[in-house]
Amino acid sequence: MPDDQSFDLAGCLDRVRKRDQIAARELVEHLHPLVIRIARSHLPRRVAEEDLAQDIFLKMFTRIDQYKGEVPFTHWVSRIAVTTCIDHLRAQKRRPELRWADLSERETDVLDSAITNENDVAPDDALAARELVQKLLERLKPEDRMVVQYLDLDQKSIAEISALTGWNQTLVKVRAFRARRKLQRLYRELTESERT
Amino acid sequence: MNEKEQSLKRLMEAARRAPAPGDESAPFGFSTRVAARAFEAAQPSPPSFARVSLRVAGIACLFAVVAVGVNYKAITSAFDDESAAAGGDDPVSDVVNLDS
Repeated sequence: MPDDQSFDLAGCLDRVRKRDQIAARELVEHLHPLVIRIARSHLPRRVAEEDLAQDIFLKMFTRIDQYKGEVPFTHWVSRIAVTTCIDHLRAQKRRPELRWADLSERETDVLDSAITNENDVAPDDALAARELVQKLLERLKPEDRMVVQYLDLDQKSIAEISALTGWNQTLVKVRAFRARRKLQRLYRELTESERT
Repeated sequence: MNEKEQSLKRLMEAARRAPAPGDESAPFGFSTRVAARAFEAAQPSPPSFARVSLRVAGIACLFAVVAVGVNYKAITSAFDDESAAAGGDDPVSDVVNLDS
């Protein structure tokens, strides 16, 4: 989360509203870590993270006059980022079910380790595990994918997800329950599919 | 929790251990490009030439309406004169109607 204490956000926003380009640049640089983290977590296939971040910032500037200060500015920007990511994810066609044949050699090893529980997944294989989970998440609806990502990978609380997405806490819980069930079904289908 | 759920949980735990992707600061030139595009996209009013053209067109319409109002009598009387002239003898019927 950007450090709001050392950055005069209110002053910067005033200058941006007066169309000060230097202030706009400062605001982009200040918010970039927050925006790029969201963009990377929910990046659709074949979309560059920089393009997605740019899209989020352009939406933020278009709507900046609508920001009334009811929620912290970073939450407001997060919600724009989340909805932009969901729009991009909706635009891409969801992939059908995942099979052993779709996995790389390392992903296959990781999956074997997870199934047999004989060996802990080696730290070096964490990236392969992450990629495998992302492949599974790509099969979910964008909102479901987002809630699993935040809850199970980023380990955010329900309240944090609610603040980031603008969804109320009950909705987050319902989505999480359904999304986890779908993920388990996809995982079961993957592990029971034929090895080729 | 059944075996498959446990296994998925282990996979998730492994995925969480993956290092976060590197640098989060804006790449060189990114903020300049975005700021320029943001203000270019959010042009609040039309350019000055378009604004002036619209005003001139409005004034021209006003002049046209005033001109018609001022000259209304002259215009209607001109139409009356034409219809009176049209109501006179028709030279063609005179030629065709040889019996009369």
